[in-house]
Amino acid sequence: MSDLYLTQLTSQRIGYLSTRQSLVAGNVANANTPGFKALDLKPFSATLQETALAMSVTNPAHITPTAQELAVPRPGEQETANATVSGNSVDLETEMVKLGEVARDYQEATGIQKAFHQMFSQALK
Amino acid sequence: MANTDHLMASLQIAGAGLATQSTRLRVISENIANVQSTASTPGGDPYVRQTIAFENALDRASGFNLVKVRQIGQDHAPFRVEQDPGSPAADAQGFVKLPNVDTLVELADMREANRSYEANLQVAKQSSDLMNQTVALLKEV
Repeated sequence: MSDLYLTQLTSQRIGYLSTRQSLVAGNVANANTPGFKALDLKPFSATLQETALAMSVTNPAHITPTAQELAVPRPGEQETANATVSGNSVDLETEMVKLGEVARDYQEATGIQKAFHQMFSQALK
Repeated sequence: MANTDHLMASLQIAGAGLATQSTRLRVISENIANVQSTASTPGGDPYVRQTIAFENALDRASGFNLVKVRQIGQDHAPFRVEQDPGSPAADAQGFVKLPNVDTLVELADMREANRSYEANLQVAKQSSDLMNQTVALLKEV
């Protein structure tokens, strides 16, 4: 763990949030697609606490997983899926709430990143 | 960079959503505009209500899963029949076939398309906001 671990953490947080944003975008765009199941990511904290070893990208030639491959079906999706005849489980209200969450968390992460930048430049002066 | 890739993907996905919802609005407006369009020949079939279906498919150009229009089909519901011997489309008994379009259903559909369009617009706006926030990190350090 290097001294710059915290900036790496915020950068990973930003990566997580952009992936989540693209999944929310997919859910909203498919709000009227028959049979489409809403997708979401595991909470960031759950990923942090994971101690099991997972494969990681150590070379640019490695294949990186796409947002869809990382996604898990939204919890409680089965009940809502049965609520509509078309088998679509997207709830626009829930997606809008998630959109707000992502915006707030993103602002927080970039704010922290900015604070680190300021500290570094202060130390360099 | 993977981060901006995902935000660009959100923008493209939301854009595809906007495109499909506006196609849907076009189909709805065609249906409403033709609610009284009878045949031009006596006893002929009038305008047939159009339906639209979506699907989530991989867009090979961008590599993202985008929503697109699967097909614009026709509604097989029976036509409304009215007694109007004066109409040019009336058959020998004076019956006129009218389109199987229900304005109320179309209006409800229009509201839904409107709502989905707004939601997609919101996503597109926010995705570009997030990208701007990332770029703003370069400023005033």
